[in-house]
Amino acid sequence: MARLELKRVIKSYGNYEAVRGVDLDIADNEFVVFVGPSGCGKSTTLRMIAGLEHISGGEIAIDGRVVNRLQPGERDIAMVFQNYALYPHMSVAENMSFCLEQQRMPRAEIEARVRRAAETLHIGALLDRRPGQLSGGQRQRVAMGRAIVRNPKVFLFDEPLSNLDAKLRVQMRTEIKRLHQLIPTTTVYVTHDQIEAMTMADRVVVMNAGLIEQAGPPQELYHHPASRFVAGFIGSPSMNFLDARLEISGDDLVLVLADGLVLRVPEAKWARYRPHADEPVVFGIRPEAMSGTGGRAGAVALEVTVDLVEPLGAATMIYFDLAGATLCASIEPEHAPAAGSSMTLHLDMNRMHLFDAASGRAL
Amino acid sequence: MTLANASKPILRRDEAGGETVRYALFVLVAGLVALFFLMPIVWSIANSFKPAAEALADPVSLVSSAFSLENYRRLEGVGAGWTSYAANSVVVALGTVALTVLVAVPAGYGFSKFRFPGQTLLFVLVMATMMIPFQSILTPLFLILKWLRLQNSLFGLVLIYVTFQLPFSIFMMRNAFDAVPRALIEAARIDGASQWTILRRIMLPIALPGVATVAMFAFLNSWNEFLAALIFLSDQNKFTLPIMLVNVSSGIYGIIDWGALQAGITVTMVPCIVLFLSLQRYYVRGLTAGAVK
Ligand SMILES: Nc1ncnc2c1ncn2[C@@H]1O[C@H](COP(=O)(O)OP(=O)(O)O)[C@@H](O)[C@H]1O
Ligand SMILES: [Mg+2]
Repeated sequence: MARLELKRVIKSYGNYEAVRGVDLDIADNEFVVFVGPSGCGKSTTLRMIAGLEHISGGEIAIDGRVVNRLQPGERDIAMVFQNYALYPHMSVAENMSFCLEQQRMPRAEIEARVRRAAETLHIGALLDRRPGQLSGGQRQRVAMGRAIVRNPKVFLFDEPLSNLDAKLRVQMRTEIKRLHQLIPTTTVYVTHDQIEAMTMADRVVVMNAGLIEQAGPPQELYHHPASRFVAGFIGSPSMNFLDARLEISGDDLVLVLADGLVLRVPEAKWARYRPHADEPVVFGIRPEAMSGTGGRAGAVALEVTVDLVEPLGAATMIYFDLAGATLCASIEPEHAPAAGSSMTLHLDMNRMHLFDAASGRAL
Repeated sequence: MTLANASKPILRRDEAGGETVRYALFVLVAGLVALFFLMPIVWSIANSFKPAAEALADPVSLVSSAFSLENYRRLEGVGAGWTSYAANSVVVALGTVALTVLVAVPAGYGFSKFRFPGQTLLFVLVMATMMIPFQSILTPLFLILKWLRLQNSLFGLVLIYVTFQLPFSIFMMRNAFDAVPRALIEAARIDGASQWTILRRIMLPIALPGVATVAMFAFLNSWNEFLAALIFLSDQNKFTLPIMLVNVSSGIYGIIDWGALQAGITVTMVPCIVLFLSLQRYYVRGLTAGAVK
């Protein structure tokens, strides 16, 4: 039950700045997911919130109270670590009650709380076991149990699912989400997996090289990426990018690709893109914005030779070369051709994106 | 078809037979090796319970005509009596264990979990003292003890043993604490535990095999040590068991009392064996801690 504010937070290791000024305001009970490539500073930011790393610059406040100088134990936060960090010599119950003991809570209340948390997480039968006797999924639950017994102001998760197999990961993902609905608490969750970020977050924060690239609801990041980096990071398979020039041709605004191919920009986008005419840009289009069937307004038909076909069941991925790059399209399985054959592909230009070639900012 | 089927069980029986032979061979060889190492111990114990005359006359046989505690009674007559020497040894060994653990645990913790200037140099210096031969510093040690008025004192002897035990012990404890994952300490910090609570409730229990190893080595080394005890203790009442053994074997009336000597050896040996066996599980884990993962 708390607001969490980060004001120009910086972390430097010697001359190297791992976090270069992060500004973020997290609302009460909000579920925020930090996502980004490895080494972009997600964990460092989380650990500064937790108090495990000294804050080199800026301010972190929980519920309006600046916590920069507080010990981790004084911040009223709970953290779930990647490798769970369960105390191996203590039983599950002891693991969960350890922090309550530190608060000198009466024995009876500790037991009641542990029992309640164990029920919530369906680990009531495991209370007497040692962590070494548990499966990965069970350890994960115990780690979460240890976090919820103390009823903290903020939950912190650092890649909690990356040690689980794919199936369990999906299951625990929904479970964490369910837990958050059951016990609404301000949550910061770190992951490098954009699917985890998209499915769990109220708000996704995309980080890159120690800075926030964009923060917003998952759909907003998907539909309106602020930069080429975000566009490429969010969505799977990734958005296709092609170098292009924006040109005015008669009454039309067109994209000229590297091989001279011309794509017409739909009228709805003219007002937005016209000022950038004659600039080198990067044209972005998601695999999902291409289709085997045409007929939609703003669609552009392309004749392509398919190099590779990947049937996924619900959709089929096809790969083809265009203007010196390999592109991926997600099409209806019934339109999928055999590898090596050619087909007509319809690009939904209403779903096109343009980025500044130099800065990568969305236009 | 039938032939092929019939041949299968025969083949399996052959394989099983091979297994059995190999296992029997293993048991035989292992048994022989064990016997080889156990024999001196068994022999000492057997002789210690023979009547004194028989131990002297026929030391080789394992079985005796009569069970007798005579040798132990004779040992009582050596100097201040074996029980008081055993008591001295116990005091020295336990003192060494206590003091070694008390210093090595915090030192190892410091070297493992904190960073301070000159840390590596200090650690290397401590380790380097392991290479100093004991004999070469006997004289300075003697002078220092004299200056401290601790010559001919069990406590002085304990201090010397602890000094020689520390480098290895600090090394062991540092490794033991290194093996405790950093995330556990961080989790404990988030749980609101103080430094002291973290050491006591998280680190020490996990590093316990290391502590057991350190304690065992301190016990065995101080229990068996001879030279320092001989040099630094001059009062007969303060001797430890190894010195008593020499006094027995050098003879009270000019001849070696074999029975009493075997009794003395038994008394000296049994605590070591019991300790080793009871701590064996920890000890093996302690030595390999940090080696894996
Ligand atoms: N203790 C440290 N000393 C020096 N550099 C560090 C330290 N911890 C992390 N870094 C660097 O800071 C950057 C961000 O790390 P981190 O926050 O762990 O990334 P991630 O986003 O993968 O969690 C990385 O380049 C890493 O190498
Ligand atoms: Mg990380």
